[in-house]
Amino acid sequence: MEKKVLIVEDEPDVGEYLKTVLETEGYLTFLSDDAGKAFETVKEVRPDLICLDIMMPRESGISFYIRLKKNDLLRGIPVVIVSGAIHLGEFDFRAYVPDTSIAPPEQYIEKPIVVEAFLKTVEELTAAGDSAKTRE
Amino acid sequence: MTERKNNKTRALRQLLYDQFFQQVPFNVAIIDRDYNIIEANDNFRAYFGEWRDRKCFSVYKKQDKPCSVCTHKEIFKDGRTRVTDTVVADKNGRWAHHIIQSAPIRITPEGPVDFIVEITSVVTDTNLWQQEYNLLFDRVPCYITVIDDEYRIVRANESFRGSFGDVLGQYCYRVYKRRDKKCPRCPAAKTFRDKKIHQSEQKGIDKIGQNIEYVVTTSPLVRGHEPVTHVIEISTDVTRIKKLEKEVLEAERLAAVRQTVAGLAHSIKNILMGLEGGKYMISLGLKKDDRSLIDRGSDMLDRNFDKTTTLVKDFLSFSKGRLPQLKMTNPNNLVNEIIDLYKDIAAMSGIELKANLKPKIASVPLDPDAIHTCLTNLVSNAIDACQMSGQKGSQVVITTRDEKGKLIFEVADNGSGMDYEIKKKIFTTFFTTKGGGGTGLGLLTTRKLVQEHGGKIVVESKKGKGSRFRMEFPKKRLEMLYKESDR
Repeated sequence: MEKKVLIVEDEPDVGEYLKTVLETEGYLTFLSDDAGKAFETVKEVRPDLICLDIMMPRESGISFYIRLKKNDLLRGIPVVIVSGAIHLGEFDFRAYVPDTSIAPPEQYIEKPIVVEAFLKTVEELTAAGDSAKTRE
Repeated sequence: MTERKNNKTRALRQLLYDQFFQQVPFNVAIIDRDYNIIEANDNFRAYFGEWRDRKCFSVYKKQDKPCSVCTHKEIFKDGRTRVTDTVVADKNGRWAHHIIQSAPIRITPEGPVDFIVEITSVVTDTNLWQQEYNLLFDRVPCYITVIDDEYRIVRANESFRGSFGDVLGQYCYRVYKRRDKKCPRCPAAKTFRDKKIHQSEQKGIDKIGQNIEYVVTTSPLVRGHEPVTHVIEISTDVTRIKKLEKEVLEAERLAAVRQTVAGLAHSIKNILMGLEGGKYMISLGLKKDDRSLIDRGSDMLDRNFDKTTTLVKDFLSFSKGRLPQLKMTNPNNLVNEIIDLYKDIAAMSGIELKANLKPKIASVPLDPDAIHTCLTNLVSNAIDACQMSGQKGSQVVITTRDEKGKLIFEVADNGSGMDYEIKKKIFTTFFTTKGGGGTGLGLLTTRKLVQEHGGKIVVESKKGKGSRFRMEFPKKRLEMLYKESDR
């Protein structure tokens, strides 16, 4: 079965780029430019992975992430943050989310992405989702 | 003849005893080598009580043995006059400070000291106050000088002498500033003229050649309607405070530069991502022979090249390193200009734009163009936020007020508001919530302009409730910048 990836990204060109890269590799993608709408999509399609931008209009990616991790049903979905605020693969997550009961995301990817590395991460994280489901 | 002369001398002595010894306004006593008081005047009796058959330590100190440190003993030994400041008690046992002047009396000129004559006078409150004032004058941690109408220093306190040396009789402008002529805008000159207190900030050079900055207050020394003959100058050394203020401003400027660079990097990364995306799609289109993919990729490249051009232009105008061009400006006039500019635009979206101005607000030194830009940015953001919320009854209010020595401009809206993460980021990156529509430079530019005025910008916002952007300008800093730009 196709793996489902939700892309939450307000910059249209970046969204289209990520979507094309993933679809070329056979992923089923959902693109949302708004965190509020994206949350509804998560509930509806239960993606295998979420590619999340941080800085977006109205609701930020961080706020979306906190809501996701506080939801018992959705908490298990892996998240990769794709952002320009990441420098050399590092991101001060706790500066934004001081609440330690919320685990940091699975992976950070700095913009602009390196396609091969991005795909490798997506592949690993969606496969991890498989084994997690298997364990359940 | 000789007898007549002797009689005269005796009469004079008697007169001296009767008149002088008794009449001098001091307490006078004669003490012998065994510390017995053998003679005293009426004043002494009136003050200390009965002295006959009593010793000095009993009368003065109410004790039954000699003092551990005895001035009389020393005078009998070395024959030298003494003045002592000591506490003694009167006949009613009231203790008070006294000055005692003691001198030796010899019956034979070269012989030993036979008696001591001493004059005791109580130190009055006035004396004590005088002493305290002198102490205060010298020890107070600021410079105090008194200058005459030729600007010569006639008195200087200890702090002043410590920093400027012993300069009595020299011209104050020579001492403070090493000038040969009176200083322009001299506050002392104003005080000589109008008998009023004046204050100004000055820069000088101390005795070892170091620059000092001080605030000087000049007050007239004058009796009634007479002309001012002397002026008292009190100066506080503010060199360290000024240095700290400059360091704080510099640190804020550096922090702004660091954040600006980080913001620029973030913006460029997004554009690069778009360019990479365009390149990827073109090459994928070529590989799959898919014309539509190639076209989409090409459009993406065009858009992101355009974004680069826009960013560079915005950034150049943002980075224009210029000092604010300060002139005395009425804050309310600035706000009214903005209201005129945006009222119609706001109304078209059903948003009410209004001003809440402090009446008769004082004019302050501001760069009117810069503040105009700031208000434009804040108001256009507020209108956008109201549009985004899409609620009815949207309002944007611009307020001016004075608060604790600060001039405040506030732009408040009841639009979409912001959540915590956005609030944290709005000034630190080229952050935009307008999708592809904004470069994210508006607020950063606003903050930069506000900081160049020595002010700061504060934001309060609640998601769904609205935002309040407050620009705060400490008036002292504005005055300081104004003076600097004047120089």
